[in-house]
Amino acid sequence: MNRTLKILSVAILLVPGVLFGISWAQYRVGGWLAESCPVFHTQLQLCDTGGTSLAWVSALLFHMLLFVMVLATLLTVAERKWSAFTQDRIGPERARIGPAWMRKHSFGGLPHVAADALKMIFKENTRPKAADRDRILFWLGPVLAFAPVFALAAVIPFGPTVPVNGYAISAQVANPNFGLLYVLAIASLAVYGTSLAGWASNSKFALLGGVRAASQMISYEVALGLSLVGMMVAFSTVQLPVLIGSAAAGTGQAQYLWQGSVLGLDFGVPAWGIFLQPLGFLLFFTAAFAETKRAPFDVPEGESEIIGYFLEYSGMKFGTFMISEFIEVVVLSALITAIFLGGWHLGFAGDVALAQGLGKSHPVLYGAFCGAVFAMKVVFLCWFQLIVRWTFPRFRYDQIMTLGWKVLLPLGLFNLFASAALVLLDPSLHWLAVAGLLEIAVLAGLTLTRKAPKSGSGHEAAGHGTPDVHALPAAAASAHH
Amino acid sequence: MAYYQATKDPTTDIRERTYVPELLHGLAVTIRHFMRNLFFPRDTNTDVLNRTGTSQITTVSYPEEQVTYPPGYRGLHRLVPREDGKPRCVACYLCATICPAQCIHIEAGEYETTDASADSRVIEKYPTSFVIDELRCIVCGLCVEACPKDAIRMDTGRHTPSEYTRSGFVWDIPRLLEGPPVNHPSDPWLKRPGSERPAHAHLEKHARIGEGLVPLKLPRPAHPVRTEVTSGPVPVTKFLRD
Amino acid sequence: MSPKDNKPSSPPPPAAPPAKPAPKNPGFVTLNIDGKEVTAKPGTNLITAAKTVGADIPYYCWHHRLSIAANCRMCLVESSTSPKLVPACQTALQEGMSIRTDTERVAEVRRSVMEFLLLNHPVDCAICDQAGECKLEDYYQRLDHKPSRLEGGKILRNKRKVLGPLVVLDQERCVQCTRCVRFMDEVAKEPQLGMFARGSEEYIDVFPGQQLTSNYSGNVVDLCPVGALLNRDFRFRARSWFLSTVASVCTGCSRGCNTYVDFMGQDVYRYRPRENDAINQSWMCDQGRLSYKPLNLARVQAPSLGRADDRREVTAAEALLRATAQLKAMAGTAELAVLVSPSCSNEDLLAGLTFAKDALGVRHLYVGGRPDGAADALLMRADKNPNRKGLAWVSAGLGLSLEPFAALLKAVQAGTVKALYVLGAEVPVDEAEAARTLAQVEFIAVQATNVTPLTETADVVLPTATHVEDEGSFVQEDGVVQRVRRAFPPRGSTRGHWNWAVDIMREFGFPLTYESARDVFRELSPKVPELASFGWDSEAPPLKTQRGLQPLATGADGRPPGYREFGAPRVRGI
Repeated sequence: MNRTLKILSVAILLVPGVLFGISWAQYRVGGWLAESCPVFHTQLQLCDTGGTSLAWVSALLFHMLLFVMVLATLLTVAERKWSAFTQDRIGPERARIGPAWMRKHSFGGLPHVAADALKMIFKENTRPKAADRDRILFWLGPVLAFAPVFALAAVIPFGPTVPVNGYAISAQVANPNFGLLYVLAIASLAVYGTSLAGWASNSKFALLGGVRAASQMISYEVALGLSLVGMMVAFSTVQLPVLIGSAAAGTGQAQYLWQGSVLGLDFGVPAWGIFLQPLGFLLFFTAAFAETKRAPFDVPEGESEIIGYFLEYSGMKFGTFMISEFIEVVVLSALITAIFLGGWHLGFAGDVALAQGLGKSHPVLYGAFCGAVFAMKVVFLCWFQLIVRWTFPRFRYDQIMTLGWKVLLPLGLFNLFASAALVLLDPSLHWLAVAGLLEIAVLAGLTLTRKAPKSGSGHEAAGHGTPDVHALPAAAASAHH
Repeated sequence: MAYYQATKDPTTDIRERTYVPELLHGLAVTIRHFMRNLFFPRDTNTDVLNRTGTSQITTVSYPEEQVTYPPGYRGLHRLVPREDGKPRCVACYLCATICPAQCIHIEAGEYETTDASADSRVIEKYPTSFVIDELRCIVCGLCVEACPKDAIRMDTGRHTPSEYTRSGFVWDIPRLLEGPPVNHPSDPWLKRPGSERPAHAHLEKHARIGEGLVPLKLPRPAHPVRTEVTSGPVPVTKFLRD
Repeated sequence: MSPKDNKPSSPPPPAAPPAKPAPKNPGFVTLNIDGKEVTAKPGTNLITAAKTVGADIPYYCWHHRLSIAANCRMCLVESSTSPKLVPACQTALQEGMSIRTDTERVAEVRRSVMEFLLLNHPVDCAICDQAGECKLEDYYQRLDHKPSRLEGGKILRNKRKVLGPLVVLDQERCVQCTRCVRFMDEVAKEPQLGMFARGSEEYIDVFPGQQLTSNYSGNVVDLCPVGALLNRDFRFRARSWFLSTVASVCTGCSRGCNTYVDFMGQDVYRYRPRENDAINQSWMCDQGRLSYKPLNLARVQAPSLGRADDRREVTAAEALLRATAQLKAMAGTAELAVLVSPSCSNEDLLAGLTFAKDALGVRHLYVGGRPDGAADALLMRADKNPNRKGLAWVSAGLGLSLEPFAALLKAVQAGTVKALYVLGAEVPVDEAEAARTLAQVEFIAVQATNVTPLTETADVVLPTATHVEDEGSFVQEDGVVQRVRRAFPPRGSTRGHWNWAVDIMREFGFPLTYESARDVFRELSPKVPELASFGWDSEAPPLKTQRGLQPLATGADGRPPGYREFGAPRVRGI
């Protein structure tokens, strides 16, 4: 039980506390920056573009550099540790640092982050002779793989815009009015990094990896964009803060579809994207996985067959590829949080009360609380992506193409037209929500009513259709179950 | 992806054809393992079969933890000494004959007739060299079964210690000979005049070799007993004399 | 014993001596053994006759070349001529007699005799050299297989009595069969062994003040059915089941005794006599028995160039080039002499002398070989070279004349010999002195098996295989051609004499295709009338040889060829 308590305390107290602290510091520093550099001062205006004062620098510092980068770095070791847990292993625990009393503890393998980073940085940075011809492109590969995914984080609102010292401080580096379009545009740039890496390495396997990555990413761009259109239609915007909305004003995903109130505490069903657009969420999640090039869509890497487009890279150049993959995980988690999971809102209860109580009296604390909620959702989604990655085996290449073009694209189109029709019929989104909840109910029903696999014939249930030669005799099988 | 097969197989239903419910079931399995292993403490130093904990982690964090051996574990062999400190072995080659790995190498010698030692009157043959290549040994125990003199036993419960050279794994008599001295009523030096026992005490029938012996679990030596490793070839059987 | 105890099929003992029946096959004795009719010459031993119909009568004391003692009682069988069991070894064959060896009565008697013999026999099998080839072991497993019922201790005797230079006796293991005593009395005619004391105290020993010094003492070890008499030379060196066996011929003297060569890996461990009525019966002399040692020791293993301090080991190709260059320059001149040893096999001589005649162009051969030694009336001959007759035949067949070794020494001292080609480095005089004289020769090429003073002075030494490392044939002093078989591949870089000769001839430009001693014999023996009719293959069928590694011949113990072919466990990679 000791271990259970320890882990629960970390999950319930430490992590949210740290996230709260980051968010709080961002608002405070943003406020201080806005105040100390009045040159960039504009009127106090909620939901304004974030870039009008120097406050965006604090968002850059705290959310992009601190939160995204550190979370991505921690994910490198989390992937190893968490995969170990799903596979009944211990995972990394051998890197120990500090004085003797510290060295007795493995700290969940966290010191491996330092070990990995040191290794990446100090490893010899080799370049194959054959890549000399395109050394600029060879160098450009990791840069172009890293830059777009990192830049994606610029439009993500990590918290609400709150007044600090009389200035509107947002938790967003930039809030262009083409928000989601920026996401789609920049996300598709990442393909240049992988393609260049594969080409400039001048190696058959790397080229193969690069080509696979390019075709896969381009294929899934379509489904990725289509799956979001439903949400854009529903809320008539492409700006992420608008999509998330405001609990106080009852806009965006913060609005309740059906709501009640007990003792002044509001509760109800929020208009979250996952309820309005469950199919869109599923499509976006799948397509996003394909964009990150992680299992089950990891044919560009395919370590058991071709190693991948970064085959010829070593040292920190390879490290850049690796970290950009994890940044992509974090950024996509943040995007999903913002688009489908109601952003920084609790969702089902208390949002309005909080916004009108704490939001009015201590706006910075409210903002930091919202930031922590947002970050916790991101962390959960990161964990979920890792679990998915360690659950499903790699698709074959033709299966990936089939899934992208023959399944995701038609479903996306159907989803778009059906959603648009429902929104036209009922602008209050209730019909859309009913349809979405019905979809969820059908899926849940199908999942929960799954017929029990025939005893000892797991293979057959998976569709192999051949009688299982390894099946236990009937008596033994029934005893076994 | 079982998608294609599933959609074509008439025995599948919508759950398998849409694939998503099955995905969720798969996720449930991995998440269940994850949660059990994350939140619950791991059984340490417990035999795999005796584990009762909720955590399903089977990895053993060697060397802090070690797998406990089954009770039948024998371990490294040793040569059994007589009371005068020499090995009981009479160089009969039965162990070398039975050895499926051919890892035992013996050279026989003869005690001189003029040897002052009392043994030499009754024991003529002894191993001048008894070498086991522990790298080749497969620890099958057939040598122990074959030995007619109870001269080799596998009851130390120890592993072969690691070495830096291959020749270090070739164990000779000084390294193999350990444990308390052993006598059997049938031993020839006990039947001769001058020995402590009556010359004609016929006890062979009632004392079968190896019966009622307590297995010897030798402690792990703090510093491994190590003979000098010399470079050069390990001797092969050459019984040639001029 | 009542007739009820017999098997119903066994004939009842006759009431009165029957009238002598007329012989069924005139000139032969016809009798019935275990229900099968046996026709044998009069005087045949019953044990031998029974063997022809598959009735294996056990025995210890009987030996077909020794007098009959009938004291072990193992060969007791039921006979129609006697109400009691009779010892098979001592029973004369009679026309129409009926013998049973398979009744329960016989089996019970055999078991009882075994128990009796084992009463005081120590269970020494672990350290006994006879283990694995011991009749007591075999018969115990076959006939007795019961624990001893002896209460009290076994009789203790001298376990290690050294009888002589080659034989040691363990009196506890002896079963008093007296084969050894009879052999020394009847065959070696040197009665050095005797039975002493009476009853259960009986033991074998040498007569007081004597030692078993006979030159045939090794045979008592072979004769001893148990582990009482052991060979001091072989003792404790190898267990018998590790050894493989190949049929061969002793090269110790010109008698050519037939032998088994017992070997393990590339080492020969002992010679044992092989049955041959015409030459050695069942015996061989101690000197010949120990003549295996040069096969293992002091062998020339690698080709070398240069004399004394300039000596260096080289590859075969380099040695061949050097020898060819030197010999070619003097080929056909009187300055070139060839020394040939009568210890070489026929194939070596055929190839070597052909080389001398065709390539070197010599007309006279100088004959080397080992010096004469002691001889005796039984087997040992003064001429210690196994193939002098063969040399005479081959040289005559090729039209070469032979000259004594002394003539070579004289010619060398006169300075007329500038180059010498030696086929077999044995010389009939003092080796060191001969080597000093021969050192005056400018160039010496030697094919030799062992290191001798002559190989030390040679300019080119070509290492040569021995007769156990190659197939071949030898001509015994009476003109009997005998084959030897290959036991194991030649040691180191050694090759047969014939092989070196063929290789040099190829260097000289002769297009020879001989791949084996068999090829050499088949191609060259027609020139020698005495050898031409010899059935090289029928005498000993050719081994299935192929290129590359060749498995060894299966040993007499039935182990697969190659079993422990290179000795005990060898640690690889060190």
